[in-house]
Amino acid sequence: MFAYVVRRVLTTIPLLLIGTFLVFTLTAISGDPLARLAQLDVDQAAYDRLIDLYNLDQPIPQRYVSWLTSAVQGDMGPSPSQGGQQTFDLVLGRALNTARLAIPAFFIIAITAVTLGVYSAVKQYSKLDYFVTGFSFLGISLPTFVFGLLLQVIFGIWWFDWFGARPFFVQGMRTVAQHGWLDMVRAHVLPIITLWLVITASESRFQRAAMLEVINSDYIRTARAKGLPRRTVILKHGLRNALIPLVTIWAIDFALLLGGAVVTETIFAWPGLGRLLLAGIFQQDLNLTMGVVVFIAALVVVFNLIADLLYGVLDPRIRYD
Amino acid sequence: MAKDKRYAWRLMAAIGALALIATACGDGAEDPVDDAEETEDVADPGDDDPADDEPRADDYCEPGGETPIVWAHEQEPPDLHLDDPNNNLSIASWIRQAMLEGPYGVSSETTFIPELVESEDVSENDDGSWQYTFTLRDDVVWSDGTPITAADVQGTYEIIMEGFDFETGEGGTYLFGSRAAAGYTLIDPDSWEVDGQTYSFSTQEFFSGYQGWFDPVFPTHILTDADTANEAFPNWELDGEILPSSGPMIFENWDRGVSMTLTRNDDYHGANEANFDVRNPGAACTSGVQINFVADTDAQINALLAGEADLIMTQPQVAFGERIATDDNFTVASEAGPVWEHWGLNTNNVHLSDPDVREGLAFALDKRPVMQALYTPLFGDLLPDVGLGNVYWMSNQPAYEDHQAEAGYGVGDSDAAAASFEAAGYSLNGDGVWEHPDNGPLTLRVGTTGGNQLRELQIQIMQEQLREQGVDIEIDNVPGAAYFGERPFSPEAIACATSGGEEGDCTIWDLTQFAWVGGPWPGAGHNAFLSGSGNNPYGYANPEFDAKADECDATVDPDERAACYNELSQYVTTRNIDPDGLVVLPITQKPSFFAFSNVRLLEGAVAPDANAAGPIVHVVDYLPAS
Repeated sequence: MFAYVVRRVLTTIPLLLIGTFLVFTLTAISGDPLARLAQLDVDQAAYDRLIDLYNLDQPIPQRYVSWLTSAVQGDMGPSPSQGGQQTFDLVLGRALNTARLAIPAFFIIAITAVTLGVYSAVKQYSKLDYFVTGFSFLGISLPTFVFGLLLQVIFGIWWFDWFGARPFFVQGMRTVAQHGWLDMVRAHVLPIITLWLVITASESRFQRAAMLEVINSDYIRTARAKGLPRRTVILKHGLRNALIPLVTIWAIDFALLLGGAVVTETIFAWPGLGRLLLAGIFQQDLNLTMGVVVFIAALVVVFNLIADLLYGVLDPRIRYD
Repeated sequence: MAKDKRYAWRLMAAIGALALIATACGDGAEDPVDDAEETEDVADPGDDDPADDEPRADDYCEPGGETPIVWAHEQEPPDLHLDDPNNNLSIASWIRQAMLEGPYGVSSETTFIPELVESEDVSENDDGSWQYTFTLRDDVVWSDGTPITAADVQGTYEIIMEGFDFETGEGGTYLFGSRAAAGYTLIDPDSWEVDGQTYSFSTQEFFSGYQGWFDPVFPTHILTDADTANEAFPNWELDGEILPSSGPMIFENWDRGVSMTLTRNDDYHGANEANFDVRNPGAACTSGVQINFVADTDAQINALLAGEADLIMTQPQVAFGERIATDDNFTVASEAGPVWEHWGLNTNNVHLSDPDVREGLAFALDKRPVMQALYTPLFGDLLPDVGLGNVYWMSNQPAYEDHQAEAGYGVGDSDAAAASFEAAGYSLNGDGVWEHPDNGPLTLRVGTTGGNQLRELQIQIMQEQLREQGVDIEIDNVPGAAYFGERPFSPEAIACATSGGEEGDCTIWDLTQFAWVGGPWPGAGHNAFLSGSGNNPYGYANPEFDAKADECDATVDPDERAACYNELSQYVTTRNIDPDGLVVLPITQKPSFFAFSNVRLLEGAVAPDANAAGPIVHVVDYLPAS
C-alpha cells in the first residue's frame, strides 16, 4: 500500500503543475492590473509600481516559474489586495474558518444522505421514498443563494414577527472565545443548513441508486435465503457495498467544502476561503488566487487518495499492489 | 421582432416594478424629495450659514453607549493607504474621512467647506505670483493630545512631494496618483512659511483647486517621511501603534474579511462651525462604528431587517424600495451627488467620427423615459426629469446649466435627428435604419459594466428608443470592472484615442456607458477631455479646449470661473462652441441609497455620495437610541 500511495502522490505532481500553470495563465490573461489605473489620473510611476509588483514586464511562463520557485519553498508571496499580508497565512487562516462550517456540515450531510438514501431504496415507491425524492429534487434545483437568502428571511425576519425572537444570526462568524458557545452555534446553523440541503439532496440520490443496485443483487438474495435478519442484510452486507460509490463523492464534496463554499460564504458574510478566492479574482490578485487554488487542488488530491484507500477497507477484493 | 417584444416587456416590467417602489417611497418615513428641498435653499456654502437646517445644539447628545453602530457594506478595502492609486475603492476613502480631516472638507452640496482651516487669504503678489495664506483653528488636536499645527500641513506637502523631480516631472516616494493633476507641482517649494497655526506658500499662477490641497493633513509627528507614511497607511499603524486621528473616529481593529471597528475620538475638537451639515458641536454621540463586510446586497438588506446591521448603503434597487421603504422602522434617503452617468462616443468610430452623426444621436436620445423609469420612482424630484446636461457642474450646484436641453438634445427630437443624419449623408434603408453609402448601416455597439442592473436597464431603454429613430444598437457588456480594461480603457483603445486613430485599435468600442466621479473642484475632470490624455477614451482633441481648461483653473473670480467651466462643458456636450465637439451625452447624476434602523439610530445624519464621502462622513451627528 505504501508503494501505491507514493506512486499516487508522484503522479499528482505533474497534475498539479499543469493545473497551476493553466490557472496562472488564465488568471494572468483574464485581466490587466494596469487597467484599474486607466480611469484615474495617474503618473507613469503608478503604472511602474504595479508592473514591478506583478512582474508585468515578464512573459507569463517566466512569471509562472518565478511564482512556482517561491511557492515550493513555502513563499506564496504577499497579497496586494489584502494589505500585503502573506498569502500562505491568509489561506491558512481562512481555511480554518471554512473548516468550521465544512466539517460539521460534512458529517451531518453524510449521515443524512446515507440514512435518506438507504431508507428510500429499501422502501422504494413508498410515501417516504416519494417524499425523499421530492426533497432531493427541491434541493438540487433550488439555487444556493435563493435557499440561503430564504433562510435569512425566515429565521432573521419572519421568525421575529411570529415569535418575537431571532434564533440564529444571519451574517458573520462568531467564535466561542469571543462570543461564547451559544452565539457560536447560532451563527453556524443557517450556513450549515444551506450547505446541507444542497449537498444532501444530490448525495441521497446517489446513495439510493447504489443501494437499489445492491439490494437487488444475487448475494443479498442469498443472504436473505440463508435466513439472516433483514437489518443485518441491509446494514452489514448491503450498505457496506453501496457506500463505495458514495465514498468518491464524499471525497470530492469534502474537499470542495473545505475549499470554500463561495455562495454560502458570500451570503452569510463568512470569512472563509471562498470569499478570499473571490476577492483574489475580482481584485486581480494573482498571488492570492493561486494560493487558494493550490490549496483547493491539494485538498482534492489528498481526499481522492483517501477515497481510493477507503475502497480497500470497504471492499476486501480491492488490493493495492 | 421577438427580441423587440422581449425588450418592450422588460421595459414595461421595470417601469411597473419601479412604479410600485414609488408608491412605497411615498409612504416611507422620510422622502428623498424632502431632503432635496431642504438643502436647495442654502444659496452659497461659502456663506457658512448653518441656519438653513437646524442650528447646532450644545446639548445635542451625551456621548456614551457601549454598542457601536453597525454599517454593513459590500466592499472591503484592500488597505487604507490614503493616496495609492492602486487602492481606489470608495470605501477606503469613506472610512479615512471619519478619522482624518483636511484644511477643507466637502459639503453635502458638493462644495468645499472649512474643516481645519479658520481663515484663508489668497492674493496676488506684486510680481504676479499668487500667495495663499491659511490659518488653522486654534483648538484642533490629534487624538493622542498633540496639537494640530501648520507644521503638519507643510509636513504633509513634503511627504507627498518627497523625491519628486520638478524638472523632469517624475519620481516621488509617496504613493500618489498624479502630483501635477492635483496641482501640487504648481506650489513653489521654497515659498513655504509656517508660523504656529498659519502657513503660506505661493504659486506662479492662480490655481482654483487650492482648497482641495493637503486633504487630509497627516499626523507628521508620527509620520516623518514618505516611507513611514507608505508603511503606516495601509493598515493604519506604525510599529504596532495605531495612527492618531484628527476626525471624530479612531481606528481600532480590522478583522479582515469580517469587519473593521472605529471608536469614538473622545478628544475630538468638534466639526468646524462653518460646516453647515453638522449639528453636533462636540465629540460623536456613538461609541463607534463597526463596518461589517457583507458582499451580497440582499444579505445586507436581510441583515438590516434582522437587526444585525444598523445602516446600509447600496446601489438603487427594487428590493431596497420594496422591503425597507415601506417599513416604519427604517429611514430611507438619498441625495444627488457628483457621480454622473453618461454615454461616451468614440470619435474614431467610422460613424461617430462625423459630428453630424453624434448630434443626430444626441437629438434622437430621450433621457426623460430613462429618468421616469429608473430614477424618478426612486428619487422623486431630486434629479431633473430631463436628466443631466452638463459635465462640469451637477444639477444640485448653483452654477449648473443644462446645455444639452438648451441645444434641444435628449428629448427624442426625431426631425432634428433625421436632419442631422441626412446632413451626414445617411438615408433610411429598407429596415428603417440609417445607412451611409460608404460606411453602411448605423449600427453601434454600446457597453457597460455587466451585472449592474440599473445600467443594463438604462441601456435597454435607450436601445429601444434609438431603434425607433433608425439607429441599431447592439449591447456589448463585459462583467464588472473588467469592462473598463477590456473596452474603453484597454491599452489599444487608449492608443487609438490618444493618437487620433493613427495607432492602437479604434474598433474595440463604439459607445460606452459608465460614470465619472466629480467633486467640488470641476477642474479635476479635465483629463477626460484633454488632448492626448490617457484618461480621455473619446479621442477628443482640441488645443482650444486645453487652453480654456488652463484658463478656467486660473480664473480668480468665482463667478467668472463658474461661467468658464460651463463654457468648457459646452465644448464636449454640444456643438455650440466647437462644431467638432459633442463627445459625451451626460444622462443623469446617480445618487446612492442608504437606510438606517430607527430602532438603533434616532438620527442617521447621512449624506451619501453628495460629497462622495459615504455614510459616516457626519458620524458625529449619529444619534444612537439609548
